[in-house]
Amino acid sequence: MDITLNVTQPLTMHIDLNSCYAIIEQQANPLIRHKPVGVAAYTSPGGFILASSYEARARGITMMRVRDARALANDIVILPPDPEKYYDAHRRFRTILERYTSDVTPKSIDEFVVDFTGSEAVRTNSDLISVGCQIKEDIRREIGEYVTVNIGIGPNRFLAKVAAGLNKPDGLDVITSDNLRETYRHLTLMDLPGINRRYKARLNLAHIFTPLEFLDAPIHKLKHEIFRGIVGYYWYLRLRGYEVDATKFGVRSFGNEYAVGDKTRDIEKIERLLMKLCEKTGRRLRKHGYEARGVFLGLGFEDRTWWGKSKRVRDCIYSTQTIYTHTAKLLRSIEFPTRVTHISIAVFDVRSSQPTQLGLFDGTKLGTRSLVKAADTINDRYGEFTIVPASMANMQDTIIKRVPFGSVRDV
Amino acid sequence: MREVINEEVSVVMSYSARKKQSLPYLLNWQNKDYYVGKIGYYHSYMEGQERQHIFELIDKDETLWFRLRLNGGSLHWVLEAIHDGLAN
Repeated sequence: MDITLNVTQPLTMHIDLNSCYAIIEQQANPLIRHKPVGVAAYTSPGGFILASSYEARARGITMMRVRDARALANDIVILPPDPEKYYDAHRRFRTILERYTSDVTPKSIDEFVVDFTGSEAVRTNSDLISVGCQIKEDIRREIGEYVTVNIGIGPNRFLAKVAAGLNKPDGLDVITSDNLRETYRHLTLMDLPGINRRYKARLNLAHIFTPLEFLDAPIHKLKHEIFRGIVGYYWYLRLRGYEVDATKFGVRSFGNEYAVGDKTRDIEKIERLLMKLCEKTGRRLRKHGYEARGVFLGLGFEDRTWWGKSKRVRDCIYSTQTIYTHTAKLLRSIEFPTRVTHISIAVFDVRSSQPTQLGLFDGTKLGTRSLVKAADTINDRYGEFTIVPASMANMQDTIIKRVPFGSVRDV
Repeated sequence: MREVINEEVSVVMSYSARKKQSLPYLLNWQNKDYYVGKIGYYHSYMEGQERQHIFELIDKDETLWFRLRLNGGSLHWVLEAIHDGLAN
């Protein structure tokens, strides 16, 4: 069974902010515009650059250590991240897009997918290219004159994203069934969103080396030989412009991670850091109205080994203290091979915390909830970490707020 | 390079009824007046129940960048950081 290319009008728009964090910093500070800029988790030499400006990228600086970036460009301006500012830009970005249609899906802090099906723009026969130009203009006026975006328009999310990557920065491209083959002709497999090194190797093994060969591969080959499952069928449709990526996933877990600046084997020190991670995760879990049924603890070590363990529990996990109790038990079950460099925790199997189901033998469970709610109310009113467990005393500058890359549910 | 300051400063602010916009006009830091030039970015966030207003701007002479915070509760101004636009 062969399926032809999707010939419907392209109504999906993919928009991403160019070099998001770096360009917002350049917008905020005109003195660093047109200069190499890197936003790093820590500005010390061992800190990692999360985003670099186009000027820095032109000199080979992408995600790397600050010391390596300085070796490539000694005039690079390194800045710490400013999450609140990026959240603000994300919200403004979203407000602008929602003026055009209500079907706006944030994919990350700097990426949106907009579906114009049934929108006023379509009903009034407006050209989506002029809508794209108008959006660019709105962004310049309302976020800042230095901020540019890439816009791609296609019949599905995949092709819209491909189009958005064709002419960076500040591009505006459309892929339709008419120019699809020509567009693929100029791309490599790795230019396709979702194709990583492993997928590329898998395709190469099946003698597929270009996107055009990928497009022309028969469905049975993709389904049975290359991807061995439904994923192959999805790729067959995706490459032809049919929508298979519009699924909305529910919340499955909440977690936090911390790179330990001062590597240590001291269990008490690690427990204090763990408590703060538990508090951050617990606050987010409760803020979104969930409770969990499992915890995970992961540790990274100096010798680059990694350890992780999860545990399911019968009773619900709601308070910071419960998360801490379970993760601390996991922590005590391992002997550190070397000093700890990373700690990550997560709570999973989350479900709505309303209504509260009381167990017959839960004792003072309601009392614990009331105490947690009271502490959360105080922190909401007077600021994060106003009231904390005693083991977290004097930790104000440890595990500070970080920018999220994927999820925008806390924005 | 960027330098963290975190000092209270004196600020003159102006309000335009036509533009419905309040903006800092002049700041005095270390006994020196800096007239506000371009505002690069403004945003605000809640800290507890108090809104913090952040103005990132450069002076009229385009020599320094300032990050100013206006506490919406106390109406106090804090100069959080400066930058001369050069590498650190």
